[in-house]
Amino acid sequence: MARRYFGERVRRNEDARLLTGRALFVDDVHLADMLHVAFLRSDFAHARVTAVDATAARSRPGIVAVFTAEDLGSFWQPGPLLVPPPPIEGLVFNPATQVPLARDKVRHVGEPIAMVVAESRYLAEDALSDIVVDLEPLDAVVHLEAALAADAPLVHEELGSNLAAHVIQRKGDYQRARDEADLVLARRLHYDRGASAAIETRGIVAYWDRRAEELTLWDTTQAPIPIRNGLARMLGLLESQVRVVAPFVGGGFGPKIMMFYPEEMLLPWASIRLGRPLKWIEDRQESFYGTTQERGQVHDAEIAVSKDGRILGVRDVFLHDTGAYDPYGLTVPINSQCTLLGPYRVPAYDSEFRAVFTNKPTVTPVRGAGRQHGVFVMERLLDLAAKGLAIDRTEIRKINYLSPEEFPHDHEILFQDSAPLVYDSGNYHPIIEKAEELVGYRQFLDADQPRHRAAGHCVGLGIVSYVEGTGIGPYEGARVTVEPSGQVRVATGVGTQGQGHFTVFAQIVADVLGVDVEEVHVITGDTREFHWGTGTFASRGVVVAGSACYEAAKRVRSKIVELASATLEVAPHDVELSEGRAHAKGAPSRGIDLGELAVRANPLRGAVRPGTEPGLEATAYFGPDRGSTAAGVHAMIVEVDPETAMVEIKRYVVVHDCGKVINPLLVEAQVQGGVAHGIGNAFYEQLVFDDSGQLLNASFMDYLLPTATDVPSVEMGHLETPSPLNPLGVKGVGEAGAIPTGAVFAQAVEDALHDYDLEILEMPLSPNRLFQLMGESTRGKRPTNGGAG
Amino acid sequence: MIVEGEYTFKGPRQTVWDLLQDPEVLAKAMPGAKDLRQVGEDQYEGAMQVALGPITAAKFSLSVILSDKVPPERYAMEISGKGPVGYTRGTAHVELAEQDAENTRMSYRANLQIGGKVAAVGQRLLDSVGKMLTRKGLEALSDELEKRLASS
Amino acid sequence: MSEAISISVTVNGQQLERSVEPRTLLSDFLRYELHLTGTHVGCEHGVCGACTVLVSGEAVRSCLMFAVQAAGKEILTVEGLSGSDGTLHPLQAAFREAHGLQCGFCTPGFLMTLLPFLSENPAPSESAIRKAISGNLCRCTGYQNIVEAAKIAAERVGG
Repeated sequence: MARRYFGERVRRNEDARLLTGRALFVDDVHLADMLHVAFLRSDFAHARVTAVDATAARSRPGIVAVFTAEDLGSFWQPGPLLVPPPPIEGLVFNPATQVPLARDKVRHVGEPIAMVVAESRYLAEDALSDIVVDLEPLDAVVHLEAALAADAPLVHEELGSNLAAHVIQRKGDYQRARDEADLVLARRLHYDRGASAAIETRGIVAYWDRRAEELTLWDTTQAPIPIRNGLARMLGLLESQVRVVAPFVGGGFGPKIMMFYPEEMLLPWASIRLGRPLKWIEDRQESFYGTTQERGQVHDAEIAVSKDGRILGVRDVFLHDTGAYDPYGLTVPINSQCTLLGPYRVPAYDSEFRAVFTNKPTVTPVRGAGRQHGVFVMERLLDLAAKGLAIDRTEIRKINYLSPEEFPHDHEILFQDSAPLVYDSGNYHPIIEKAEELVGYRQFLDADQPRHRAAGHCVGLGIVSYVEGTGIGPYEGARVTVEPSGQVRVATGVGTQGQGHFTVFAQIVADVLGVDVEEVHVITGDTREFHWGTGTFASRGVVVAGSACYEAAKRVRSKIVELASATLEVAPHDVELSEGRAHAKGAPSRGIDLGELAVRANPLRGAVRPGTEPGLEATAYFGPDRGSTAAGVHAMIVEVDPETAMVEIKRYVVVHDCGKVINPLLVEAQVQGGVAHGIGNAFYEQLVFDDSGQLLNASFMDYLLPTATDVPSVEMGHLETPSPLNPLGVKGVGEAGAIPTGAVFAQAVEDALHDYDLEILEMPLSPNRLFQLMGESTRGKRPTNGGAG
Repeated sequence: MIVEGEYTFKGPRQTVWDLLQDPEVLAKAMPGAKDLRQVGEDQYEGAMQVALGPITAAKFSLSVILSDKVPPERYAMEISGKGPVGYTRGTAHVELAEQDAENTRMSYRANLQIGGKVAAVGQRLLDSVGKMLTRKGLEALSDELEKRLASS
Repeated sequence: MSEAISISVTVNGQQLERSVEPRTLLSDFLRYELHLTGTHVGCEHGVCGACTVLVSGEAVRSCLMFAVQAAGKEILTVEGLSGSDGTLHPLQAAFREAHGLQCGFCTPGFLMTLLPFLSENPAPSESAIRKAISGNLCRCTGYQNIVEAAKIAAERVGG
């Protein structure tokens, strides 16, 4: 029997290269005659550019060129709108996309104004201080609530206001639900910005080969194919003249899907102009304002419940900070709007948001992509409702869960992919039951917590639910080839940033073709290898590209079986594939190596039957109708030190249902990594802007990423509710860990600080902020020995 | 960033006032200031260099314009500085009150906007550096005052 | 600009003579002069630890050191860990075993931090491992599997 890899904890094919330092990252590309680029960036968040004089910089030794907006001529164009808004009735959307170099105005700190090309990066940076920029500072739009005031300064004057979008989605009759409710609770909730903070910053190497008339771009992008197609259009080249390679990429987390970054447009353009390869690697400080960010929203939310804990309706009106530009359309706020509904039956939903421009770096998805806001709002409202009705926290969730018979479940609103928000499958009760069991929910409430409280310790538990829309279209493709060596090559368009595609795709293909997983070589993110597809985002790599690999492998299998059947003279249904061979069923010795078949499939002489395709190769595409909905429950136990407000995470439990699991080792690691990111967003990471739009903590000294001593080991449970929307039954998992962390953190900390009677309605917290909230709390008394209960 | 405080000079108010209108003295009161020169009535320009944690030599071109002068009681300063690592701009208000014939109480409040690299990576240090510069400046002024009073 | 200075260093067992500008960082020297690109740079200010290499047996951040400061010293980078036939060092093998890496960008820094730590602490506790790597940032893994890898490596190398 052939070994099956699907569902196995297969070690990764890509690791040896990464562990020995041989893997190619963009900054490792070294070309003869290569020049280096540095950018002069705005110190001001909002200012009119009156003059840019680069004369002195140009005359410095080692400086090859300095380009300003004026030098770009007709190449100076705002970037494309990546994601057009979904067809929602009455929707208002004002597009304003980023420009390659600021011309008349700068709209956020760090916006590039001039580009210096020099013989070394050191020289390029030296020259920056020689460029004289005259800026006339303007008042900055920083706070969301102030952005729409009548007298607010305007980020884009031509739009007449700072409104980027206004969207209303409704189902049912919320007003009636409210009238019928036994309890209505309203709160204002805040979520603030964080950085994606991939350890590899962005980087680009562009090389125009004058003889071949071909442009090659090595780019830390999550979307090499759209970059290729867009660049060809901007530069007036054929798509086939542009090759974009996303080699190993050191973490993506969303912002590397954004396009086009100014640098992505400028380096190729300048390389063609100068006839030499160019390299630019973002430094960490540039990354803090040159790479897109996420998470600023303010929600005014209201929940209407019956006295037995049923949700009758939810109303949510929120502001979304889109930053200085909105090239990514409405993906993030629509994710917030849709994900709020969670795993629950919500008969009436009234949701309205306004996206506003601010003088801060542009907002595009960061791991979670707006989903955490929705989860935070809904879970907080449910916690308050449970408290108000004296119902157990897990009970109120169970009361409102959709039951398995209710799938597919239509929420009657539109999702970010413009498809109706319809959940494909789910079974939510077992998830929370398993989480309760793993974390010891009853035992904690009945025995542990009273004991801790009696001993004067502030120990609390949080437990929350979420869903994640994953694996959206439009499509991805893959080409599978059996080579004469017997090794299998799989080429697909999605780029990879550490998810393990080299292994997961190999597992899928190895199972279909009966070969060893290490014999399957996956190539991702090189447009010369595969040039149809969109990219790695929305937790869709395995769902969409994985399904394409599966379909392509099946076609190759048919070719193998057909050829083997003729060669071995056995009926097609009697051909088996295992251990790299095709053989007669039950007679492994009567067989032929796949490599040998590959040779026969590509003869040098002789005749083939009409219609025969050469080789053992096939390409297939997969596009799901809509996304598949994964779900999970996170539970955590924390202890808060009332003296310092430091929170220690004692336990962290995740029970997750992402459909069929191809490789549990990798799925668990994705979740663990997401949880770490979520913990950072909940308690350590916050991008702090002052009133003039200055980012005040643009270094890892001041912007704190969680370290190994801050992140607990996550205890994990899996459940499998297969998705009916793809042949593998899988759902995405890349973002899941980061989505409910804020909500569970808030509930656990509130529970731990029971005696302070806090309501945590904002994320991120920090020890400082929590300390402040504890000080402000109405009761504010510290638990005394034996006094609490 | 807001820098504010009070300081008592051991000298009469008019002497302190005169001291503060002297560009050479003004330069001394701004540690790191170089070549501060008068370029017009109540207008001064020069350069300044300070150390701010990871930025060991932040250089700024400096412009100071005095306004709203009510001698010897109060005046305002419009300050702007610009350099490769950032900028600062804002207004400072200085008031002098006679504590008694021999002592003058100065109260000052500067509201400075700070931007660029200095703000982005020097934030944690701005307050302490601001306080340190202010203290050094006031001490320098006080020394200068003492010299003037001794020589007169 | 100041004159280039001639230095002699031993990198991964090989003695080299190079002339460098005094302001060249050790990380840039390794990556762009010697083309040892396994050492990665994540923050250029000594916080993330991705650029960690061994200088005279001690883990240092190569982004915080000038190349000229390494003159006369012995440097070990991630490229010097595995055998000449490509066999993974037990620590590298443990990372693969425990799935202690995802994007792999920070990994060389973790390896070079753990190498001297494990040789000084052959049987470390989990909390000692976590403290030892708390100066290295990883955004993908959540650290759990890196800790597991360190445990596996300690068992294999220690035992």
